[in-house]
This record gives sequence, C-alpha cells and structure tokens, in this order.
Amino acid sequence: MLSKFKITTKYNDVYDITSEVKKVVEESGVKEGICLVYNPHSTAGLTVYSPWDPAGLEDLDDEIRRLIPTKVDFKHQHDTPQDAAGHVKSALLGVSVTFIIHEGKLMLGGSQSIYFLEFDGPRSREFFVKIQED
Amino acid sequence: MSKYENPMSRQVFSLPELIRQQYDDLEPKTRTVLSFQEIYNIQRIVLTGCGDSFAAGMATKHIFELLTGIPTEVVPAIELSRYYSEKHLGVDCRNPLVIAVSNSGSVARISEAVQRARLHGSYVLGITGNETSPLGINSDKVLKLDIPDFESAPGTRSYAVSVMALLLLAIRFGEVRHQYTMDQAMDYRYDIRNQGALLEELLPQMDSICEKVAEEWKDFPCFDFVGAGFDYAAAWYGQAKILEATGKFAMHINSEEWFHLNFFARDAKHIGTVVVANTTNPGISRTKEMIKFAKELGRPMVVITDGRKEDFGEETTYIQVPAPKYPISMPLTQYAPICLIASYIAELIGEKYGRGCEEDWEFAAGGAGVKNSEIIVK
Repeated sequence: MLSKFKITTKYNDVYDITSEVKKVVEESGVKEGICLVYNPHSTAGLTVYSPWDPAGLEDLDDEIRRLIPTKVDFKHQHDTPQDAAGHVKSALLGVSVTFIIHEGKLMLGGSQSIYFLEFDGPRSREFFVKIQED
Repeated sequence: MSKYENPMSRQVFSLPELIRQQYDDLEPKTRTVLSFQEIYNIQRIVLTGCGDSFAAGMATKHIFELLTGIPTEVVPAIELSRYYSEKHLGVDCRNPLVIAVSNSGSVARISEAVQRARLHGSYVLGITGNETSPLGINSDKVLKLDIPDFESAPGTRSYAVSVMALLLLAIRFGEVRHQYTMDQAMDYRYDIRNQGALLEELLPQMDSICEKVAEEWKDFPCFDFVGAGFDYAAAWYGQAKILEATGKFAMHINSEEWFHLNFFARDAKHIGTVVVANTTNPGISRTKEMIKFAKELGRPMVVITDGRKEDFGEETTYIQVPAPKYPISMPLTQYAPICLIASYIAELIGEKYGRGCEEDWEFAAGGAGVKNSEIIVK
C-alpha cells in the first residue's frame, strides 16, 4: 500500500508529518509490518526529532546550517548556493525513515515526531508512505 | 509576408525561431559564465555599448534593478572610456561589474571603455560573438554569442539576442542572490522562450498594418519615436532603424520630454510618430496624455502596445505586440513592428541600408567608421 501527500513549503522550513503517517498506518489495517516514509527530492530531508520544545527544531536548523553553511564556493554552480547546500544537507540527513508497525500502530517513542525538512523552498513537494505487511 | 519584403523584414520574420534557438544556446551559458562568488561580489552594474548594444542596455537596465536589487547604470561607451569618474571604478573589490555588449567585439570605443574599466579595477563581462576580438580579449569573462548567419540588414537579430542575453543574466543574478526561487527563475525563463511563439502568432496582422503604414509614411521627411522607462529603448532603437534603413531624420524622446520639446515641431501632419506604450509601464498615464495631444496636433501616429485601442481611447493605428506573462519579457519583441515599417519604407523609396556605404558614405564601409578610431586609455 502506497500513499502520496503533497505539501507546499516555505524557505528552509520544517513540517510535522507524524499525524499523516499514523493515519495511513491505522487505515491500512496492517497489524505487524514495516512503514517506510520517503521523499523523492534532493534538497529536502526526513528525520525524527523531539516535538516537545519548538526551540529544539531551531537548534537542529542551527546545527545543520553550522555544519553545511550556504556558501558561494560550492563546486555545483548550476543552480544556486541555497540549492547546492540543500543537496548536501539532504544527502547527509537522508530522504527516508523506516518504522515498525506493531499491533496495528506506528511504533514511535513518546518524544519522537516525524519531520519533513525543506532545505530550499518555497517549493511544491511530496512524500510517500509505504506499508509492508509481515 | 509583404510584397515589399526585404532582408530586414525577413530578419523580423526569423525572430520566432531565433528566440527559441538562442534561448537553448544562452540559458546554459548564462548559468555558468559567472560563478556564485562573482555574482555575490556585485555591488553595482554598468551596462555599456554603442548603437543597438547601447539600446539593449537601456532595454534591460530597469529589469536588472527589478530582479536583482543591484543599482544599475547604462553608460554610453564614450562616457565610460573618457569621462566616467575613476573614483567610481575599482571600488568594493572589483566593482562595478561592467557588462559590455558588442556582437562583433571590434567596436573601438567599447574596447577602449573596457580597457579603462579594468585598468581602474572594475570587473568586465563581455558579451560578444568573437572571443578573440578586442572586447573578448579585454574582458575578464566572455559570454559567447553564436547567432546563426543571415542576410545582412540593420541589426534586428543581433539586437534580439543581445536583449535576451542581458535578460537571462539578470534572471540568473536574481536567482543566485535568492531574490526569488529557482522555480520562479525558471518561470521567467520559460516566458522569455515563449515570446517566439507569441510573436509568430501576431506577425501576420502586424505585417499587414506595417505595410500600410509604410505606404502612407514613405514620403515623410522625419519621424518621432516616443516611449518612457521600459519602452524608451524601443523608441531609441526605432529612430536608429529609420536612420539606418531609410536615411531619413528621426528623433527619440520620452513621453514627458515630448511635452517640453518635440511637440513644437511644425508640419505635424508629415511627422510619422511612433509611440511605444506597454500597458504595464508605470509611465503609461503620461504616454496616454502624449497620444491625446499628438492626435490633436494631427500627427500621423502608430501606437505599439501589448494592449488594445480600448486601453487608450484614441482613434489611431495600434499595432499589437506580444503580452508576456511577465513584463520583463516585453523588450524581446516590442521593436519588431518598427523594423518592419523602416524596412518597407526603405524598399518603397529604393533606399539602400546604410546608404550602401557608397560615395560619401564609403568611409564607413565594413564598419570602418566605428572600428578605426584612436584608442586612448587612461
């Protein structure tokens, strides 16, 4: 079972997609299996992060920017510096996350939410949720 | 095509295909000609050129500022080479960026201007079809034009390509400096490419009106070209084409200055008046006033516009040019009817382009008048 979602992003923004993923799992009727969340973009990422303090997401953004600053001497010059940095961020953070489905629910810790990370934007984006039964 | 067709009008009819072909050539080149570092280093831009290339700078100056936010001047080559203050060259780490346009690259004053700009520390991007020309070898970077050969005529195809090259550079600078998204930048680019199709659609009706206007205006002794802001370059270019193609007197003026000067001209009924009036132009209200009073004076008049008669309310001749999705694409096509009128008048009166560079005009043969000039760089 494959579900597709569309989102319109802002520049360098973060989107909590946990509820959409949970809903797909519940509606699938699958009791035991695997849930794969995937984004087909090269300047966006997916990750799991704590939702409790919104400032924590700013910390994540700060650290990503510190590790991969937008600079003008990227060798990839075809598009823009933001785009070049976005490619590196996406590659390091990854474009998919996998979860266990147990007893018909997404196995997600109490301090875990699923986030779509936009490293460019504003863009029209999409992500997919694939459910695989055991 | 008109029964008066000639090399210049055939150049106009070749524009739709040229726009598509040159877009495919220039889009990738304008992405790579300057690096991110070079684009981020730009604090000011100076556009320079002579003749049609100068007009191409005027056509895109506002667009550079609109898309990039970078202050941009259009400086005639002789001003840059002999008068422009050297205190304003070579500041802020190789600023301003001087963008010099010359398809041949062999115009003496352009060569002189870029040599002086570099001598005093500015960075020069040459836009030329000849990398080994004086412009090419005196530029820090070269955007190479490859315009397919065509029958010789007063520059129509080369002007289109110069304007397109500058527009694509402006879009690129704004994109890299994050003035808008890459998606938006691509939409601007697609609009530029689409102007070929829009022009192709309008050319038949444009041609029949231009043919009729040329028949009515062929014996006029002089012409007046009016436009403001974004449209002034097309007016300037129009007077140049009349001079080159027909040898008749022509003036160019903006719609405000027309009220201070050109309306005084006597024999109004024999002054062919061409008004370039893009409906999205911030100065359109003044241009409408100018059209009203030119009409009262009895001026024979043509209004070149992306709009219609209802937008102006005056009974006169309107020539519709493409209405692009974004006004920045307007300069790519709005000069086309002017070239047709000039070419048909030349054909009707049996005039050779550029007087054939014969007899008294022989000194200018092969472009000698603009190529052979003492170079002074200091």
